[in-house]
Amino acid sequence: MPGDVKVVERPRAESSYVRAAAKGMSITMRHLLSPNKKTQQYPDEKWELAPRTRGTHRMAVHEDGRAKCVACGLCPTVCPVNCIKLVPAEDENGERYAAIYEIDEFRCIFCGYCQEVCPVEAIHLGVHYENAEYSRERWVYDLERLVEQEHPVTALWDPQDPASQ
Amino acid sequence: MAENGAKATVTLTIDGVEVTVPSGTRVIEAAEHVGVVVPRYCYHPGIPTRPAQCRMCLVEVEGRPKLEPSCTLQAADEMVVNTASDTARTARQSVIEFLLVNHPLDCPICDAAGQCMLQDYAYVTNQLESRVDEPKRIMGRDRISDDILYFADRCVICTRCVRFMRDVAEDDSLIVAQRGDKAYIDTFPGRELDNPFQGNIVDVCPVGALVHEDFVFKARAWDMDAAASVCPGCPTGCNVTIDTKENQIVRVKPRHNAAVNSWWMCDHGRRHLVMTNRGVRAEVPLIRDGEQLRPVDWATALDWVAEQMEALGSPGGSAVVSPDASNENLFYVHRLLERLGVAGAAFRVAQGDTAALPTVPTLKLRADRAANATGVELFGGCRVDGLADGSEGNGSAVSGSEGGALVVLDDALEGAGEDFGGAADFFLYLGTRLPGAARNADAVLPIATFAEMDGTFTNFEGRVQRFHQALRPPGLARPGWMVLSRVLARLGDGEAVNEVRGAFERMVAEAPAFAGLTWDGIGLKGAPAAGSAAAAAAAAGIHGPQKADA
Repeated sequence: MPGDVKVVERPRAESSYVRAAAKGMSITMRHLLSPNKKTQQYPDEKWELAPRTRGTHRMAVHEDGRAKCVACGLCPTVCPVNCIKLVPAEDENGERYAAIYEIDEFRCIFCGYCQEVCPVEAIHLGVHYENAEYSRERWVYDLERLVEQEHPVTALWDPQDPASQ
Repeated sequence: MAENGAKATVTLTIDGVEVTVPSGTRVIEAAEHVGVVVPRYCYHPGIPTRPAQCRMCLVEVEGRPKLEPSCTLQAADEMVVNTASDTARTARQSVIEFLLVNHPLDCPICDAAGQCMLQDYAYVTNQLESRVDEPKRIMGRDRISDDILYFADRCVICTRCVRFMRDVAEDDSLIVAQRGDKAYIDTFPGRELDNPFQGNIVDVCPVGALVHEDFVFKARAWDMDAAASVCPGCPTGCNVTIDTKENQIVRVKPRHNAAVNSWWMCDHGRRHLVMTNRGVRAEVPLIRDGEQLRPVDWATALDWVAEQMEALGSPGGSAVVSPDASNENLFYVHRLLERLGVAGAAFRVAQGDTAALPTVPTLKLRADRAANATGVELFGGCRVDGLADGSEGNGSAVSGSEGGALVVLDDALEGAGEDFGGAADFFLYLGTRLPGAARNADAVLPIATFAEMDGTFTNFEGRVQRFHQALRPPGLARPGWMVLSRVLARLGDGEAVNEVRGAFERMVAEAPAFAGLTWDGIGLKGAPAAGSAAAAAAAAGIHGPQKADA
């Protein structure tokens, strides 16, 4: 062994693991028996989300099932990350509608500007977080998918505290 | 005010700024001299009548008991005008409030949103709440002509469209039907709006009431990019603004130029311009490789073409150029033809119906359906009817069966035979598209259309007008002057030019017809070329490439 190695003798009481192990086990036992449990049993149990949680989008529909979107183009304009693709067109009644409406949820930063700017309250963010997919393409939500989403929509303000005070 | 008739100018004060204007000037125009744009609907500088009916331009004049409409009020000495006083502002606010009583507020789907004078003024007056409880009257929409839609609910009845048709186009076809809140614009019963200049009623509409059907729901105002350009539909060369979205032309609007088109343009021009960039385009340089044309990169293509030309020397031959080519493209082709010993290029011009706007003498849809026939003639081009149809002895007969060199600049070669150019020693095709007749070409160089590059056209009276790039060229296509300057540079003739200013300056220096012009001097309004109609003799003087060098 090169050089001099200084060997420090410690009292047995300090260097024994028994005391530390016993201390740890006592904490474990205390939590096991405590009624105040924090662990959530997902997916059997789910989070209660706040009403203003901002998750994947949902498109509101008219009573006859048509999307409410009038293809005004404000959401792609206001979107800070350009994740909305919109191609307006004219339907058989001469009304403006979105021929193509796609949101790339991967690119989306869930800022909620699209919901805020929408003049007809068509596009909403959703109170939702279970978005796992097997392919990246599935993350581009088209109009059909946005209409089919069933989760509750995000509230723009807290109903208990509308002025955010 | 009548006493001032003899004086040349009057001096008045507008919003605290003193301004001297020619006598007879209206206050609304005098205000623009000091940078004050008085809100207006019925006033349009291009329409002679001023009914002062919209009541938007009311201003306060000191010493007068009531507000005065500034569009009809003549400026007078010592007049003190206040366009933004509380009284004037309140009056304006009331007008807007009345207009909004029945306005549908469908800005989200209205094509004028973002460029709408009602939207702008309503925003300024800051009336966020309506005080009206009554339901709005709803009228719906109407097709006012085969390509123009009328949204009656959005209309502010400024009658600009009615007065354009009546006083500018002198075609009494539009009227205000009904009165009061039921008023709407319509054609006379049994008459149709069918005027070659009717598209202008869409441009004068201050709101979104009149919309071209092919523009409905196409693009929002803020999605579009605009480029100042020149209409290539006929030799008049109307100044236009091209609005593009995602590299597509979506709309064309006239741009004011008092010397050419005033505020207007014809419908043929609008349609033609949108179609200019449609179709399958040549996108990659091709060079002859035995039986085949092989796609190559630019450096290879240019080296190869220069090599061939070097070997070719000056064999003589023939050339066909398109009368839609820009002056710069024509200049470089001209230089190329000089080297090859080709005397004068042939060009063909399609003919069409003519139409005139009675009150603007310079604005006509002319029979030639090409932008730059004058420019081709300034470079010694010879007008022919068909490809094999040139008159004898002028050196321009092109049948495609001659020997020597054959150069074609963006001509579609309609009517050319199977073996067009087959006998030529060297057949160079520069084109935006690739017609079947170019199959015998030794080299095909893809070039940009006028909308995809900067350049100039020479209009019917020799006015050289600049246009700006509106679109990106497809694939590897590049402006003709950029391509040809590189071919010539490889042959030791001048330098490779990267921007149009260089091409233009070389053209001005070497082509007497354009002598004296400067790129900045032309500006956005154009300037007459030295060899223009005014100096037709001079134009004849540069015929023949030899003299251009002198």
